[in-house]
Amino acid sequence: MIKKAILLAVATVSIHMLTACNGIFDDIYDQPKPVVPAKGQLVIDATSWTDWYYVDLPRLQRLAEEGDEDALLKAQSEFEKHPIPFTLSEGKGDGRSGQYLYWFDVWGEGIQNNEFRQFTETDAQQDPEEWSFAVHRNNVRTNGGAVYETQYTSFDQLPESSTEFANKEFTADEWSENEVWSSKEQMLLSLVPSQGININKVLSSWLEFKFNVPPDYKPNKHVFILRLADGTYAALQLADFISPEGKKCFLTINYKYPY
Amino acid sequence: MIKNIILPLALLATAQTAMAQADPELDDVQLDSIFRHYELEEVVVTGTRTPKFLKDTPIQTRVITSRDIARTDATNVQDLLQQELPGVEFSYSMNQRTHLNFAGFGGQGILFLVDGERLAGESMDDVDFSRLLMAGVERIEIVKGASSALYGSSAAGGVVNIITKNATEPWTLNLNARYAKHNDQRYGGVFGLSSKHWRNAFSANYHNKDNYNVTSAANPVTRVISTIYGERTVDFKDKLTWRPSDRLSIGARAGYFFRETTRTVNLPERYRDFSGGLRLDWLITKDDNLQASYAFDQYDKSDYQQLRHLDIRDYSNVQNTVRLLYNHSFGETAMLTVGADYMHDYLFNTYLAGAAREQDCYDVFAQYDWNITDKLEAVAAVRYDYFSDQSNSQLTPKLNLRYKPNHRLVLRAGYGMGFRAPSLKERYYNFDMAGIWIVEGNENLKAEKSHNFTLSAEYSRANCSLAVSAYYNNVINKISTSAPYFKSIEDKLPYLPYTNLANYRVFGADVSMQARWQNGISARLSYAHTKERLPKDKDGNTINNQYIPARAHALNANVDYDHQFTKRYGIYASLNGRLLSGTENVEFKNYYDVTEGTVRVKYPAYTLWKLSLTQRVGKAVSITTALDNLFNYRPKHYYLNAPLTDGITLQVGVSIDVDKLF
Repeated sequence: MIKKAILLAVATVSIHMLTACNGIFDDIYDQPKPVVPAKGQLVIDATSWTDWYYVDLPRLQRLAEEGDEDALLKAQSEFEKHPIPFTLSEGKGDGRSGQYLYWFDVWGEGIQNNEFRQFTETDAQQDPEEWSFAVHRNNVRTNGGAVYETQYTSFDQLPESSTEFANKEFTADEWSENEVWSSKEQMLLSLVPSQGININKVLSSWLEFKFNVPPDYKPNKHVFILRLADGTYAALQLADFISPEGKKCFLTINYKYPY
Repeated sequence: MIKNIILPLALLATAQTAMAQADPELDDVQLDSIFRHYELEEVVVTGTRTPKFLKDTPIQTRVITSRDIARTDATNVQDLLQQELPGVEFSYSMNQRTHLNFAGFGGQGILFLVDGERLAGESMDDVDFSRLLMAGVERIEIVKGASSALYGSSAAGGVVNIITKNATEPWTLNLNARYAKHNDQRYGGVFGLSSKHWRNAFSANYHNKDNYNVTSAANPVTRVISTIYGERTVDFKDKLTWRPSDRLSIGARAGYFFRETTRTVNLPERYRDFSGGLRLDWLITKDDNLQASYAFDQYDKSDYQQLRHLDIRDYSNVQNTVRLLYNHSFGETAMLTVGADYMHDYLFNTYLAGAAREQDCYDVFAQYDWNITDKLEAVAAVRYDYFSDQSNSQLTPKLNLRYKPNHRLVLRAGYGMGFRAPSLKERYYNFDMAGIWIVEGNENLKAEKSHNFTLSAEYSRANCSLAVSAYYNNVINKISTSAPYFKSIEDKLPYLPYTNLANYRVFGADVSMQARWQNGISARLSYAHTKERLPKDKDGNTINNQYIPARAHALNANVDYDHQFTKRYGIYASLNGRLLSGTENVEFKNYYDVTEGTVRVKYPAYTLWKLSLTQRVGKAVSITTALDNLFNYRPKHYYLNAPLTDGITLQVGVSIDVDKLF
């Protein structure tokens, strides 16, 4: 009986394999699915090297209060974008905005070892009229805001009110000229241009980048408190940074506004 | 002479599977390969596809036995080969995938087989060495030199055939575990059952090693790595054999392998392999034997999005192979082997033009093994391969001679043609590599061909032996990536096309000495010299070598002491070292403007040693303690070919033969 069972099993496996020219067990794998933001979530495809995407938290609040679910859902996944300027319009130079070419020790000690090589002046970044923060890959800017990094890893752990953080030290945006990488076209020569612009280094730490092959990104699960220019507060947390197809810097962000 | 013929027939008569099994009589002997040149009753099958005594085979074959494997405590074939053989180096390719350099040949030039069957799947030209676990392996046969006349494509540099164990006792059960730093944990079990007509061998293994960071000194001259990636692997295999009579044997096998490596947080890479097969061995008459087999191998790669619980596959290679192999002996002087294979090769890759490609591969081959005199034997083989993709075909011949003037000396000479058909990836790939360049397939690639010449001599006397060999390979139309170029001025990324390069030549020589004394001490010293003449493109331009070349000099040294103090307690102590000379590679100064020329980058020499002590307690238990990297060597710079170590490592392991407890 056992022998018959074994023979039957062998025959079954054999027939299965003989008909499996293009493989077996396809169903253990998944197909990429579009990411639909949950309530209190933003989904931003920030994989572009040359664009900033702008989030307007008060607008999201208004849509939530109006109860327009469709408009809110759309606003949670579609964002105004403005390209990084690569040219200088006549009479628009401020002497500081532009592309800063740096040599990075990408193949050696790491990108923390870098040297300035060249500056090309461009127009300043064009921003929308209303915005709270903007993202470019693993970089974040605020619109006159400041950020504090908590040790909480979930919104459920947050204190009832943001007033608990009133006495904390918030960090405003700072000038950067070697972090907003805008092109990878000379990377093999260890040369990478960056946009010279103010970024919030605390909030940008939610996704640490380390050059490697493949590039290595390390997410930070902490909840960040954003104090907007108008004195209101938001809680932000990077929930995921991978697209359904596996691309890095496809951001899923948990937000709570007003907090 | 008679023995040369009788042995294969005797083995066939017991329906031993010609490609997969050893003589069971020899299983118990547990020959130590250190004596293989004078305890010469080992049987090998890879060089001629028929069983031969190691001392008599006309194709020089290196055998690593299960006892050697146990003594090295190797987890997989990578661990084993670099401990056992000089001139074998596992390093990293550019994107930190494991790459083999075996005497000047990479993963596409050395054919890895398991029980005579090919393996599906590759990464940067190499099979997944992690899946070639050493648990349940009977022995490994290594044949250097072109073997395409018997094995077809990708055997230009040689063949490594891993032969798995069969159950020979009514029941056996081995359980083992090992622990080392970086959370290196290994657990395994092998369960065997055997009766008059049935045999079954089942093995299960788990291995984990964490990622760890390494730090290089300042001012490296080329790329260094900062993280050494670990892995988590799970493996199951089962092999069932039914022998209804002494003339007939039917076998079935199935296997599953899983590996997970995390390079990006929340996005581990997964590798899976599903394998299976059927095999029939039929001794038709005392002079005729037929083998029929079917093999299935599927190797998949996927990325697991942990937060969304999505496992997205981006690669699958499926190979279905059917084979017929027939042997006929002509009295006592000759044996004819004829065979044919059909393989369906399917490749899915999200970077492949059209996403999926497939082709049919057919071949026929014949070999004539002639014992001309008692001292002289000649083996000639020829094979014809046809690949449906681009209607590519190839004829490959092979001739080997063995001359044995006396019982101590064996001289061998051989010529073989090797070839490698362009893979579907090399023809149809279109891969944007992290935005750095686009690796581009080339539909017009020609097959790579090679001419290989080998000479060897083995001398054994009393307690020592000496083996010397030399080889020369001339590879024509070597397939490689060429210089990057821009198709048009609008292109932002350069293309890195596959192409046929001009001649590539490699010369090598091996010397191996070994001895054993009555006091339990034995020693082995093996040296390998490899001289690569790097290829240029068809216009004679020096190009960037895709992989770091072989090291010119490599030395492996081994001293063992084995002593049984009492009936219940014995030890085996071993000191094993390897020394590798420095090497140089040609690399472009400017990948975006190759007209700036190339620069020679020097990679340093290094040496690593391992001291291990195995204590045998009773018949069933052995405890192994080892200090790997004994002298705490740490590379100054972790270049791609630096040894993967961050200093001395203590390993502690235990192995229990449960059946011997009773």
